[in-house]
Amino acid sequence: MFFKVAAFEFRYQLRQPIFWIGAFIFALLSFGLMASSNIQIGSTDNIHKNSPFAIGRATLVFAEFYMFVVAAFVANVIVRDDETGFGGIVRATRMRKFDYLYGRFLGAFAVAAIGFLAVPFGLWLGSIAFWVDPETMGPFVARDYLYAYFVLGLPVIFLTASLFFALTTVTRSMMWTYVGVVGLFIGGQILGVVLTRPGMEHIAALWEPFGAGAFGAATRYWTASERNTLVPPITGDLLWNKVIWMSAAVALLALAHGLFRFQAGTVSKRARKAAALAVAAAPAEAFASVGPRAAPAKPVFNAAATWTQLIARTRLDAGQVFRSPAYFVLLGLAAAASVGNLWFATEVSTYGGRVFPVSRIMMQAVSGLFPFFSLIIAIYYAGELVWREKERKTQEIIDAAPVPDWMFVAPKTLAIALVLFSTFVVGILVAIAMQASRGFFDFRIDEYVLWWLIPQTIDAVLIAALAILVQTLSPNKFAGWAIMVVYLISTLVLGNLGFEDNLYQYSGGPAVPLSDMNAQGHYWIAAYWFRLYWSAFALVLLVLAYGLWRRGTETGLRPRLRQLPRRLSGLAGVIMGLALVVFAGSGAFIFYNTHVLNPYRTALGDEKWTADYEKKFLRYETLPQPKIAHVTLDLQIWPHQTRVVAHGAYVIQNRTNAPIGVLHVRFMRDVIVGALKIDGAHLQTEYPDFNYRIYAFDKPMQPGETRTLSFASTFQQLGFRNSGNVVRIMDNGTFINDQELSPQIGMDRRLLLVDRTKRRKYGLTPELRLPVLGTPGADQFEGLRRDSDWVKADITVTTDADQIPIAPGYKVSEAVANGRRTARFVTDSPVLNFFSAQSARYAVSTVNYKGVAISVYYDPQHPWNVARIQRAMIASLDYYQANFSPYQFHQVRVLEFPAPDGSFAQSFTNTIPWSEGIFFIADNSDPDRVDMVTYVGAHELGHQWWAHQVIGADEQGEAMLSETMAQYSAGQVMKHMYGPYMMRRFLKFELDSYLRNRGGSVLPEQPLDRVETQDYVYYRKGSLAMYRLQDQIGEDAVDRALRHLLHDFAFKGPPYPTSVDLIKDLRQEAPADKQQLITDLLQKITLYDVKADHAVAKKRPDGRYDLTFTVDAKKIYADGLGHETPAPMNETLDVGAFDVDPGGSGFNASKVIAVQRVAIHSGVQTVTLTVTRPPKFAGVDPFSELIDRDAAATITKVAGP
Amino acid sequence: MPSLVIDKLTHVYPNDVRALDAVSLNIPNGLYGLLGPNGAGKSTLMRTIATLQAPTSGSIRFDDIDVIAEPQKLRRTLGYLPQDFGVYPRVSAYDMLDHMAVLKGVAAPKARRETVEYLLNQTNLWSVRKKALASFSGGMRQRFGIAQALIGDPSLIIVDEPTAGLDPEERLRFLNLLAEIGENVVVILSTHIVEDVADLCPRMAIIAGGRIVREGGPLDLIAELKGRIWTKSIARDELEACRANHQVISTRLFAGRTVVHILSDADPGEGFAAATGGLEDVYFSTLSAQRQAA
Repeated sequence: MFFKVAAFEFRYQLRQPIFWIGAFIFALLSFGLMASSNIQIGSTDNIHKNSPFAIGRATLVFAEFYMFVVAAFVANVIVRDDETGFGGIVRATRMRKFDYLYGRFLGAFAVAAIGFLAVPFGLWLGSIAFWVDPETMGPFVARDYLYAYFVLGLPVIFLTASLFFALTTVTRSMMWTYVGVVGLFIGGQILGVVLTRPGMEHIAALWEPFGAGAFGAATRYWTASERNTLVPPITGDLLWNKVIWMSAAVALLALAHGLFRFQAGTVSKRARKAAALAVAAAPAEAFASVGPRAAPAKPVFNAAATWTQLIARTRLDAGQVFRSPAYFVLLGLAAAASVGNLWFATEVSTYGGRVFPVSRIMMQAVSGLFPFFSLIIAIYYAGELVWREKERKTQEIIDAAPVPDWMFVAPKTLAIALVLFSTFVVGILVAIAMQASRGFFDFRIDEYVLWWLIPQTIDAVLIAALAILVQTLSPNKFAGWAIMVVYLISTLVLGNLGFEDNLYQYSGGPAVPLSDMNAQGHYWIAAYWFRLYWSAFALVLLVLAYGLWRRGTETGLRPRLRQLPRRLSGLAGVIMGLALVVFAGSGAFIFYNTHVLNPYRTALGDEKWTADYEKKFLRYETLPQPKIAHVTLDLQIWPHQTRVVAHGAYVIQNRTNAPIGVLHVRFMRDVIVGALKIDGAHLQTEYPDFNYRIYAFDKPMQPGETRTLSFASTFQQLGFRNSGNVVRIMDNGTFINDQELSPQIGMDRRLLLVDRTKRRKYGLTPELRLPVLGTPGADQFEGLRRDSDWVKADITVTTDADQIPIAPGYKVSEAVANGRRTARFVTDSPVLNFFSAQSARYAVSTVNYKGVAISVYYDPQHPWNVARIQRAMIASLDYYQANFSPYQFHQVRVLEFPAPDGSFAQSFTNTIPWSEGIFFIADNSDPDRVDMVTYVGAHELGHQWWAHQVIGADEQGEAMLSETMAQYSAGQVMKHMYGPYMMRRFLKFELDSYLRNRGGSVLPEQPLDRVETQDYVYYRKGSLAMYRLQDQIGEDAVDRALRHLLHDFAFKGPPYPTSVDLIKDLRQEAPADKQQLITDLLQKITLYDVKADHAVAKKRPDGRYDLTFTVDAKKIYADGLGHETPAPMNETLDVGAFDVDPGGSGFNASKVIAVQRVAIHSGVQTVTLTVTRPPKFAGVDPFSELIDRDAAATITKVAGP
Repeated sequence: MPSLVIDKLTHVYPNDVRALDAVSLNIPNGLYGLLGPNGAGKSTLMRTIATLQAPTSGSIRFDDIDVIAEPQKLRRTLGYLPQDFGVYPRVSAYDMLDHMAVLKGVAAPKARRETVEYLLNQTNLWSVRKKALASFSGGMRQRFGIAQALIGDPSLIIVDEPTAGLDPEERLRFLNLLAEIGENVVVILSTHIVEDVADLCPRMAIIAGGRIVREGGPLDLIAELKGRIWTKSIARDELEACRANHQVISTRLFAGRTVVHILSDADPGEGFAAATGGLEDVYFSTLSAQRQAA
């Protein structure tokens, strides 16, 4: 009986459309993931797309999405008997509950499992598609697909099937089950995000039900080669995760069995209620006559009546949505899920820094989920409302009533618009609640309404209009929904395939970058032109929906098409005509802006342009060219016209040993060159598409000779673009750098394509690398620009009179005339050829410290961290001047710039632009958090030494001299301000970030001295390496070495220093027994694996305690791809005894019982300490200075008295 | 004096099924019964008149309204109770009736309230007016249905299978309500329950296979059968022989034996007694003749 039931269920479910549709969609998605170079989940460039890691990750993601299909199968098992009414017949048979429930479950589960085979099938098929780049694929290994399906995917399907089975058993309703599905899905996403924080890996591994946490934890620190070949063994946390959750699934099934009642649950309740009502409403006698019949009211058909009809229908339709439990649940889910986003929105970096919950950030946070939910609501309820009358069987009564034909589409559209509006209002309320809960009451309701509520509602209603038309045309509700899902997927795919024009992407439009400084600027204009365009189109769609509306019982499409002309004659046709006129008119205006006034660009098109640029010009990069010695710039900024006009001149000098015959002059792509004149040179070749010009000298430029180059250029945007509107020039908050307007001399390899797959696609050499460390001749060029050494500059900036212009240099004059303000900045000491110009309505705060004016130029809305920035500058100046060299300027200026322009801070000569998005709005109220403001400030000021005094040569390791040294400097400032216990927290973040990013890197990893673009090495590992070094050889020794480097190279032209010079200076200051350490930290990729164990404390007769524990130490060298070899270890590390776990919270000086530095060698050794109080924890490296993948294992609990 | 004129109304479905085949009727005001078996085309005809379906050919005129060309005009004076209708969830009877009043053009608040209250009282739903319609029993739902059909004092009322599923008490109440409707109204009662027509309608038509096969006043039609209906009580195993020899129009069980009615112009003898024909006999005899002709 059991197997017969299962077999019947299996055959039945196999025939359901949901099976074939689900399998098709998932096969398509898997295929697309594998075969399209533009869609990625979790695989980066140097692991194969069909590596076991990538297959595993894709399978996990798809298994989570597949739960929507699984629910359809298993819920159907329970509810179809009740819904079809066949249940009574089935229940009257002899079938036992066990056979009935589990037999059906087995059949449905088997079908779901078979349907999921679409995923490995699609993945495999995609991997052999003839157009995929074979270098992105590894060999076909069946084990990988089997592992992913059976170990990763199938348990998820089993768990979700059991869960939804139990859920449907309790609720007996498909709708409530789907509410549960959405809830579980969102919950899974939130859980996934929460559990990625460092320290949660173990919890995630066990308790994340879909196994993604376990998979992630097992592969967290794997390198590329491991990810390409290995699958995580089914042991440890991964095994326990499966055991736990499979047991939970079985328990859920048992629960279903216990809860299931053979008689229909709610149906009988409803019947009982109806019976009770019938009794109440049935009087003893016949219809009571209520006296003589009053004169019956005759209907009146006028405008007032029609208006009342519209309101009544809209209210009914909207009420149907508002009162449906599904709506509340969807809304509740959106709100609950957004709480997570909102909470973490203020955690802006991986260091645990926090910012104030300004409304702009809150809006971004709710924009994660509310628009998505609004899409679901729009599509779902469009289907529900369009088919409402037919499904409820009220359509005959309603359709026969004397309402005009348009009284169906219009109220439903209005109702959905109301619903969507209210959804977004709820989003705002949730955001405001979060702000209030943090004690932040500057709500800016006007911003919420203008920047978010209105645009989001309009965009959602556009989708609803499309959905309404689709539902009007489609033969049933589910087909209509399926079509809308296909539409949604297509919008994702089309964008990736290079179809980006918002003129054909329905409801598309350019993004509006938001900023407290600049509000919406003028960007809303473009967005609303597109909204007008698409709204007109949506109106046409709605009129069509009205024209084709099913009224009465005639549902075929052809008869409705026949009635279309009749329906469209009259006002409807006029409206449609007008809408088409607006559509065409606005479309023409948009086209003019996005294709005529501005070039139409797509991401793929830009890639190709860059590839062509390289093919044409890279060969010239070794051509000897003169260098720039002096820069004069006159920048006219028109902030409200998005225009900057530059006039400038270079003094160029031939610093080679041979005459130079040609001059290559390059401008950025969109710069309009008004004039270009070079002393004694004429234009030889011009490449207008690439803004590249080759000039020939009439008489070659002799070694040592100088010439003048003068130019005029304009950078502007007219009108608006399809996407990528210029954000460098804003109404308030302009921030441009000189390279965006002024020419470069000669060719270099900056800004070319980096991605290996893309390079192969265009037939370029696989990699563009920095010159190898020590390449002869490479040290003739500094790392920032090949066409300059140290220069002097004279920069004049003019902007509107109500704004402050700033450029690097000392301000020598300022004047206001004709509504324009002009300021001139001069530097006469050597500086890098790297200039910015900013203009905004700033408030200024200046503090004078030992002859240096520290000024912060900030937006008056963001005063919170100004004093902290100044304090950071003061502390940094103190340390750097005392330990490195005197600061070369008399001013430090920090300038705020708008968030859309970037989330970074940058160091120009004595000028530090700093984004409003990072830490200008920092919230430092929690003293346990890392002080990000000080960290960034100290780092950027550090660059005034490490870049603006000493700049590395253009070869490998250059970033070590600038970024790593800035990290070191900032680390020292922080250490002196906050102590080693705060530093431990900081270093822990650095360690985790470094280790995580190793596996996902584009290029193989390099050691610090040869680092190229691996930012996780020169920032994160740099911090760790330098901190350990200064702890081991002493801060003074490191600083002496740096002083020496500065003495040798500051402000001097070529040859520029390399990492070789820095390491030589460090070796000189380090004792003999630390030379190997320098090699390990700076010239190799070194990992440690140190474990403390078997800690026992015994009380001594004198009241102290003898603590012994073992330390098992390993040192490992790795190569760029992660292949590891062991190495002998002979170092000194801190060992100690503590009251609390140093890795936990609350670790500070008072919790340290004893700490001392001892020699540790590879292998196992015993450490003995004598301590004054009973130790709870003991171990090695309590300050987390080692690069150890299992840092927690360095500390162990003490067994003892 | 309003009247409904149906002229050669034909409806052919896409699968070539002729649901209505050149139906022509002239319906005066008062109650008009439309009798026919399931699938005869009654509901198709009702829906076509109620402007919910367009016929393949033919015309319908209600006074001076061309119903096919200007359905909206008819809707303004139409009350329609469908055969099978549902309700919106989570809406009370009062609110739904109020909503229907608005849709039917009784929008002015005072008139609307009076109409709704009057109709709720008349259909005895006053005490449950605040309860959700979805919780009503079948009989209560039918009462609501006729209440909404009566809004706005329509001149054409169509009720399609209104008493199917009602218990005898409810059915009686419903028919009494129909009977109270005024004289200047055309009421078409479409049903397969012969008693409903017999009790209420002064004129009727029988429709089968999409065609009108009989038309007239019930009494006249019964009179036509006078002296032609014969009855006899026989054993069950005699039924076959009886069918072979006579035109049996109905059989019924009574007291354990089979009672047959046959149609015969002359006395068939064999123990048959003359029966006073009823409308049922008219109905069965018509159907049986139509089947023989087909």
